Amino acid sequence: MKGTKIGEFEELTLLAIVILQDDAYIIRIQEELKKQANRSVVMGALHATLSRLEKKGLLESELGGATQERGGRRKRIYKLTAAGKSVLSEIYETRNRMWGQIPDYALKLIHV
Amino acid sequence: MSNQLHTPPTISIRLIRALCRTELVEEIEGNLYEYYWIISEDVNRFGKIRFWIQVLTYLRPSTLKLFKLKNSGSMFIFNPKIAVRSLFKHRVSTSINLLGFVIGLLSTIFIYFYINTELNIDSFHVDKENIYRVIRTSEINGAPYDVGVTSGPYAEALINDYPSSINTTTRAFPQNGLVKIADKKFQENKMIFADRNFFEFFSYPLAEGNPGDVLSLPNSVVISREIATKYFGFKDPIGEIIEVDNEYKFTITGIMDDLPAKSHLDFNMVFSIELFEGFDWFHGWWNNGLVTYINVPNTQQAHYLDTQFPEFMEKYFGDDFEASGTKIGLHVEPLEDIYFNNKTRFDPVVHGDLSSLIILGAVGVIILFIACFNYINLSIAMAFKRAKEVSVRKVLGVEKTRLITQFLGESMMLLLASMLIAIGLSIALKPIFNSVFELDILFNWADQLVIAFMIGLVLVVLVTSGLYPALLMSSFKPVSILKSGKIPLGKNSFIRKGLVVAQFSLSIFLIIATLLIGFQLDYMKSKPLGYNKESLLIIHINNQEIQSNDELFKNDLLRHENITSVTSASGEPGGFHDGTVLQISGVNVNPKVRSSFADTDYLKTLGIPIAAGRDFDRSFANNDSMAMMINEKALAEIGLTAEEVIGRKVTIPGFDIDRRIVGVVKDYHFTALNNEIEPQAIIMGYTHHRRFIVRMNDVDIPNTLRHIEESFNKHSPNFPITYQFHDEGLDQLYADEQKQARVFSSFSGISIFLACMGIFGLAAYAAEQRQKELGIRKILGASVQQVILIISKEFITLVVIAAVIAMPLTWIFMENWLHDFAYRIGLAENWMVFIFGSLVAGIIAFLTIALKTYKTAASNPTDCIRYE
Repeated sequence: MKGTKIGEFEELTLLAIVILQDDAYIIRIQEELKKQANRSVVMGALHATLSRLEKKGLLESELGGATQERGGRRKRIYKLTAAGKSVLSEIYETRNRMWGQIPDYALKLIHV
Repeated sequence: MSNQLHTPPTISIRLIRALCRTELVEEIEGNLYEYYWIISEDVNRFGKIRFWIQVLTYLRPSTLKLFKLKNSGSMFIFNPKIAVRSLFKHRVSTSINLLGFVIGLLSTIFIYFYINTELNIDSFHVDKENIYRVIRTSEINGAPYDVGVTSGPYAEALINDYPSSINTTTRAFPQNGLVKIADKKFQENKMIFADRNFFEFFSYPLAEGNPGDVLSLPNSVVISREIATKYFGFKDPIGEIIEVDNEYKFTITGIMDDLPAKSHLDFNMVFSIELFEGFDWFHGWWNNGLVTYINVPNTQQAHYLDTQFPEFMEKYFGDDFEASGTKIGLHVEPLEDIYFNNKTRFDPVVHGDLSSLIILGAVGVIILFIACFNYINLSIAMAFKRAKEVSVRKVLGVEKTRLITQFLGESMMLLLASMLIAIGLSIALKPIFNSVFELDILFNWADQLVIAFMIGLVLVVLVTSGLYPALLMSSFKPVSILKSGKIPLGKNSFIRKGLVVAQFSLSIFLIIATLLIGFQLDYMKSKPLGYNKESLLIIHINNQEIQSNDELFKNDLLRHENITSVTSASGEPGGFHDGTVLQISGVNVNPKVRSSFADTDYLKTLGIPIAAGRDFDRSFANNDSMAMMINEKALAEIGLTAEEVIGRKVTIPGFDIDRRIVGVVKDYHFTALNNEIEPQAIIMGYTHHRRFIVRMNDVDIPNTLRHIEESFNKHSPNFPITYQFHDEGLDQLYADEQKQARVFSSFSGISIFLACMGIFGLAAYAAEQRQKELGIRKILGASVQQVILIISKEFITLVVIAAVIAMPLTWIFMENWLHDFAYRIGLAENWMVFIFGSLVAGIIAFLTIALKTYKTAASNPTDCIRYE
């Protein structure tokens, strides 16, 4: 697919969103990235990434779910679009394929 | 759980609301609320900071509102795009205003830092409130004066007599001498000899060495970084040996750091004063030469000391006072007053001149005002061009307050741009400015006051120059303007004219003042001084060798064909003249006089005429070894005729031998012309001599100088010669006045330039406004010259009014300024200067206008009247 080359951080973000499913709003995504990938990122920066992904058509979002902690303000829940899903799975397949082609002795060296 | 606890700071929410895109605000706020809630649960004490990091990093292109300069009309309170457009549209007036503001702000910045530097002198001493200097008071013929120097014994006597009023004392003894380190040898003029507690008493910073013990050994010396580099380069100087005057050896024990501010004591080497303790004269009460400081517990004690001093002086000087029939007093001067008290005589410390400082400040403010007036005038002129724009906006419903904000905003943009340029330029031009005006300005950006000052400056200028045009423009009546297309000219033309008059008054004032200050300086330089000041060379007797060989040296000098006469004396005219008292036999009054000790050739060398009696005579030098002469002022003080006075015996305190008056000399100026001629006694004597005065012929001076240097080296092989041409030395006496003259001439140039730029802009505007009228006039037969005259007439009238206002004010100011000079030019005989100054301003203004309007005047009249 054309124009769907995404960076590593974008990939991690998309993965986090998939993991979080209905709970995928910015604070959770931020926590997830920290927990899983040890990436500290401020909300502003994350927001920029999310908007960019949205612009590329890999994400879509809607407002919903106001809570008391949020002072009654709704949150923006992100969801992968079909394009987003296919980009992710394409990446996954490419990696899997390439990992599969690494000779066994070399694989041992990597895992040391 | 309480909501209060988990509500993020209101300001953060406001910030987000103000700056972020509306559609994102809800989400972002929600996120911040939640984040804040999370970190409040957390015990981490950096929570607040982490929260603010989140807030601030939210402000980025992807979230911020679109601040692209939009022309979406009246909805914005301040519309930068319209502001920028209007500034670019009126390029000429924008550049005039920009230049004016930059120059005005630049002057103000310099003056701020200058005043700041001067006022911060000695501000770094930790105990500065409690440090006082002990100064002596004396009087000469009823006029009291302060003397900066005291003698060695004061410090110890003071602390012994008033132990509860004085904590500590210290002494500083300024000297110069020949310093030799290894193979390097220089004459140093900024040496001081100081008590061992000097570096504890004051807070001069040390780069190496401990303030407490750096001067504790009798032969220790502390040097400045500059001296260290001069003699040692990159080598560590600690422990090295310094030889002073080829005789005394000192070990370097410390290095001074650069001073954080300027100081009244200017020195680069501090020696231990112990050296002098060995000399008898150092313990004499009358051998003044050093500066005594005391540290008191509080101000009351200082006042108390002042009341005790008469008793103190009586205790130590009682007998001398009785014998001489005169008295000297003592008082203390706070450390912070020392620098500006430049009336103190015989003062080795550095002084500043408060009146120059005030004049400089006032001139800076004048320049700033001229720039502000330009802005007001040009903005008013532009206002009429923008009348339609304003009217349309008003019709569309824009409120008056918004229009005011818009116009103030435009002024603010221009002003901020000028401020940035001015700050940049001030940094770049500082070295030039310092050298042109011989100042020593330090820029202290770290000072918090600087920022407050800059902001205050911008606000003051904004209000002065931006408010009136903004109010004027916003008050236009849209209906009449849109209907008739005409703008109601009216009372504001009075304000405009008033401002032009004010600008030119100030410029004319500065021009006339510049000229008159220059005249006064010329007058002082060319006034006959009562002796022949040309072709005199002054050689300093600065060491023992030359002092003991003075006769031989003198004879060697006279051997040269171009040296006509040589004398040695205690001081040259304009130089040092001590004070003393004469007790004349059979006369009741004991006149106080300035004393000059000189040899037989003093009058001959200087060319001072005798009024009565005779000069010292070399042929019966034996008798004349106790001769003396007085000047006419001293004669008048005594109240006898010359015949009655000649031959009388005179006792001078401190001298064993009585003197005899042999002659009366005509008064000559032996001090700077700021002072009246004082009574003087020229006393025969070979001790106390500090100078050789050499009269030369004006031919082949280099050759003569070479001969002088060779002779000096022959008789004083170990010390280099220091000499100076007398007329140059005299010029230095007027350095302050010359500095003021330079300040005035530069700033009057700038002010007339700014005023003309303003009038240039106004003339351009007037020519444009009256284009049609001028076209019709030309068709009816007016010439180009006549057309130019029509436009100039209005402005020239204003300049004439300005001159009428400026002349009397300048007169009053100059009367005041000249008041300080005992010998001065008269203003009445220089009335031409006033006319001339005004004419210069008028002519420059006319040329400016003519230059600008020529194009309009010379254009084809059909071009401007053809189209309706």
